[in-house]
Amino acid sequence: METFINPKSLFHLLLLPCLLLYSSIAYNSSPVEAAMHTNNWAVLVCTSRFWFNYRHMANTLSLYRTVKRLGIPDERIILMLADDMACNTRNKYPAQVFNNENHRLNLYGDNVEVDYRGYEVTVENFLRVLTGRHETAVPRSKRLLSDEGSHILLYMTGHGGDEFLKFQDSEELQSHDLADAVKQMKEKHRFKELLIMVDTCQAATLFNQSPGVLAIGSSMKGENSYSHHLDSDVGVSVVDRFTYYTLAFFERLNIYDNASLSSLFSSYNPSLLMSTAYYRKDLYKRRLEEVPVTNFFGSVMETIHTDAAYKALSRRNSGRFEDEMSLDQSVHHIKRRMLIKVNDGDEIHDINPELLQGEEGASKCPWSTFRKKFQKAENVDSLLNYGLVAMIPLLVISTWLVQ
Amino acid sequence: MVLLQRPHILLLLIGTHQFLQCWIAFGSVNEEGQKQAEFSEELLLKPLPDHKLLAHFHFQSSGPPSTSNGCHHHLFPKAISQLVQKFRIKEMELSFTKGRWNYESWGGFDPLSSSNAKPPGVELWAVFDVPQHHIDASWKNLTHTLSGLFCASINFLESTATYSTPEWSFPPASGNVRYGTLPCEAVCTENLTPWLKLLPCRDKAGIALLLDRPSLYRGFYHSQQLHLTSTGSSSEGIDSGIILEQTLTVVLQPNSEMAIEVHASEKHIQPSWSLSSIFGKQVSGRCVLAKPSSVYLLLDRGLSAANGLTSENFWSNPSFELSANPDRIFLEESSSHSKSLSILYMFQVEKYCESEPFDIGLMWKVPVAWLCQQTPLHASRFLMGSGNERAAIAISLKSTQFTEGFMSANSKDGSCELRVDVFQVVPWYVKVYFHSLRVFVDQQPRAVSDIIEKIHVSPSKDKMSPGVMEVVLKLPCRVNTAALTIEFDKGFLRIDEYLPDANQGFDIPSAIISFPNFHASMVFLEDDSLNKSPLLSKFQEKCPVMSYTEVLLVPLTTPDFSMPYNVITITCTVFALYFGSVLNVLQRSVAEEERFLKAKAAKKTGRLPLLLSKLSAKLRGRRLEPLHSPPSSSSFINSKLVLKVILVAGLAVGWQYFFS
Repeated sequence: METFINPKSLFHLLLLPCLLLYSSIAYNSSPVEAAMHTNNWAVLVCTSRFWFNYRHMANTLSLYRTVKRLGIPDERIILMLADDMACNTRNKYPAQVFNNENHRLNLYGDNVEVDYRGYEVTVENFLRVLTGRHETAVPRSKRLLSDEGSHILLYMTGHGGDEFLKFQDSEELQSHDLADAVKQMKEKHRFKELLIMVDTCQAATLFNQSPGVLAIGSSMKGENSYSHHLDSDVGVSVVDRFTYYTLAFFERLNIYDNASLSSLFSSYNPSLLMSTAYYRKDLYKRRLEEVPVTNFFGSVMETIHTDAAYKALSRRNSGRFEDEMSLDQSVHHIKRRMLIKVNDGDEIHDINPELLQGEEGASKCPWSTFRKKFQKAENVDSLLNYGLVAMIPLLVISTWLVQ
Repeated sequence: MVLLQRPHILLLLIGTHQFLQCWIAFGSVNEEGQKQAEFSEELLLKPLPDHKLLAHFHFQSSGPPSTSNGCHHHLFPKAISQLVQKFRIKEMELSFTKGRWNYESWGGFDPLSSSNAKPPGVELWAVFDVPQHHIDASWKNLTHTLSGLFCASINFLESTATYSTPEWSFPPASGNVRYGTLPCEAVCTENLTPWLKLLPCRDKAGIALLLDRPSLYRGFYHSQQLHLTSTGSSSEGIDSGIILEQTLTVVLQPNSEMAIEVHASEKHIQPSWSLSSIFGKQVSGRCVLAKPSSVYLLLDRGLSAANGLTSENFWSNPSFELSANPDRIFLEESSSHSKSLSILYMFQVEKYCESEPFDIGLMWKVPVAWLCQQTPLHASRFLMGSGNERAAIAISLKSTQFTEGFMSANSKDGSCELRVDVFQVVPWYVKVYFHSLRVFVDQQPRAVSDIIEKIHVSPSKDKMSPGVMEVVLKLPCRVNTAALTIEFDKGFLRIDEYLPDANQGFDIPSAIISFPNFHASMVFLEDDSLNKSPLLSKFQEKCPVMSYTEVLLVPLTTPDFSMPYNVITITCTVFALYFGSVLNVLQRSVAEEERFLKAKAAKKTGRLPLLLSKLSAKLRGRRLEPLHSPPSSSSFINSKLVLKVILVAGLAVGWQYFFS
């Protein structure tokens, strides 16, 4: 018995250091993976059918091209196009889609992967993609296989209204459907951060109910979003204003740029847009000045440089490691951000003060609250009545004094 | 702790074992040296009579048997071999087509047209090597996989209402075949790109370099096909590999710039063209992985006859000029039913490189007119009747000049017969009455039993399966016209079953008309030294002559899609009005109400606004109005407010005047 046990225990003893190392790695690596930004996904949806909605497809394809240029690979982009514009018989330029009348850039290119197209673009399929409830036969290329470390960009364009977005002129996606899908995604750990970008009329109403996400819409409630310009060769409007200025912002950038989300959001000029771009960040934890746009629109992976193999592990086991991970992003990342802060400065100063006041300043200033109350229509009459009543004693006193 | 460690070791062991196995397997193949993966790229150009040009790209890769090469794929696309293995496909064909093949001017009786003319949209058929009850599940999974692979909505073919099981009229006759079409599917760059990614050189080198998307999709006809044959993957495990044929057939209009320069008197001359003028690109060398990499120029029988080319003088052709010297010229073997012969010029791409790219041009010197060989009978299909309730489908067959010549040559006695197979699938909402099938031969109604030799019908089931009709016709040889008509009712769909653009109409897929007695093949005289060209060997195969009819667009009654909302709104209004008034009448007691009003009025007398209003009423000489009616307008400047201000001012003036 003893002879049997001894070699085994010896084996155990030998194994112990290995196991300790292994378990320490495992212990440290699992929370890291849970918190770290692992990958970027993009879901780009064009919901409009018919030739005269050419611009919606051009919008979506422009965004597709941008995110692809900034590093998101095709397999992590779910592209939904409700109609075929490129090979449409009305298209004078077969297999080409333009978003500018100068025709310098063919958005369709040679290498476009459309995941859902034509009649497949329905509310049902859209919600299935978001929530990941597919039939077993559905191939991987049509699924959003994101995880808890994913940053997802959700871009939608089409015709919409107060709290809805039309799909193919026959169905509607309502804001509470979207909110429900987002909530399910949150529950299922399908994303870490989600940016919803909507270019429709009254876009701001669509994500009113979605919790825990960063969202930007092309127009406020009651406003329309307009197309940018008409291409007389193609015969239809080719791009919407909001997307046009979004692209104008991105065309200056490459994958290594560190332009922040707030500089994107402040780049929208309401007079050029002919609508007010509305963004909602109350539920987003990080400061927008610190988040680069490539967080959502590109795929910039953090690389950790190591001098030799396996060195990183021992370094990571040190005490500093914990601090590093308590922050959302690593110190490394923040350092880089500090460095570029100088470059970013002028962009941040450009932030439109009106836009900021509209969001935050309102609640702080007492005069504006009074004015707000005052402007409420139903209070006017009673206020006047009280004013009139208050005048009577004044009148009495003044006459008494005269006498 | 030990348990934690062990699975990893085990996994590692299994992994290495697997890897070793694969490696050994691959090595053994190399030693064997026979079952190597092969790839060929070929392009065939053919001038068409109506001043157009046909370009037919043919890529073929053959994969060695899966058992011998394990998990390694040298040339053969891995995605396809996984597809074949997973769904146990014996044979499969997927085609994406845009435009309609013009059988009258582009011909229908050569191997090129009978295997590459396809119905518009997507056509998919597959033969499975699985038990009968598993076929439908395999088909469903296959459609989903293909839709992911080729960026198309092929997954719409998964529902049983869209695909059918041809019994015997469809050429790869077998019980395990499934056939489905999507006539209105769009075909564009996103379908071509994944297709090109299956090629070892993609579109970066070789002949595929020519595939410039805008010039391809500008064409009149565009058909992209994928044909899979898995030879002998039977249950015994004998597996000789997979053959993947990828073909792309385009009909293009050569740039007419040169034609404009030509004088008006010579406007019948065929337009001259070159590869660079059609595709805007040149071939800079072959794809190094391709074994034969060659370009062919085919002059079909009619054209060579019009040129006066025979087997003696084809070297000195007077009517056109080639910009490059052909490496080889093939003559067709003389066949029984045609005196003239096709001529094939071959160019080897291997000789060319980056500095000296390959470009072939054809310059016509004299106007030439010829006709392509046509199908025995020209088939067309149309709708009859009007209204939203009933209509009829008619398939008409007309004799062509080919039939006349052929029949007069072949029918010594009067009893010769022409066999025609018709395969027609209709969606379930087109409710066909099969008893109303009528046959007309030379515009005379004939008894169905005289003409129809064999018929197989499977009626449609609502939302379950489409209607399928397979007919074998025996027509007399000297027939001029023949027609089949069949009546149908237009069904009703549920409101959520209509497509978003339902007003456009619904498509009935093409019918397949095949002539099993006729085989299109082109056998070229070749010497033994010639390396086997897959394209030419495909031409030699005897394939039955087939043609597809047009897609029909049936307008169905579409409801007013806002109707449900209207109905709901009106119903709700009526109900609200009715119940509201009834309740009001039932519950109202007049005396009580009056008492209540009085009490309310009494309560309000003390209040200042009432006093003011009373005063104003008196001033205006009107009766007292109840003040508690809500203010109608709420803007700052309205008449009521102005009145109030004036009233107060007047009051003040009066007061002042009275006391002073």
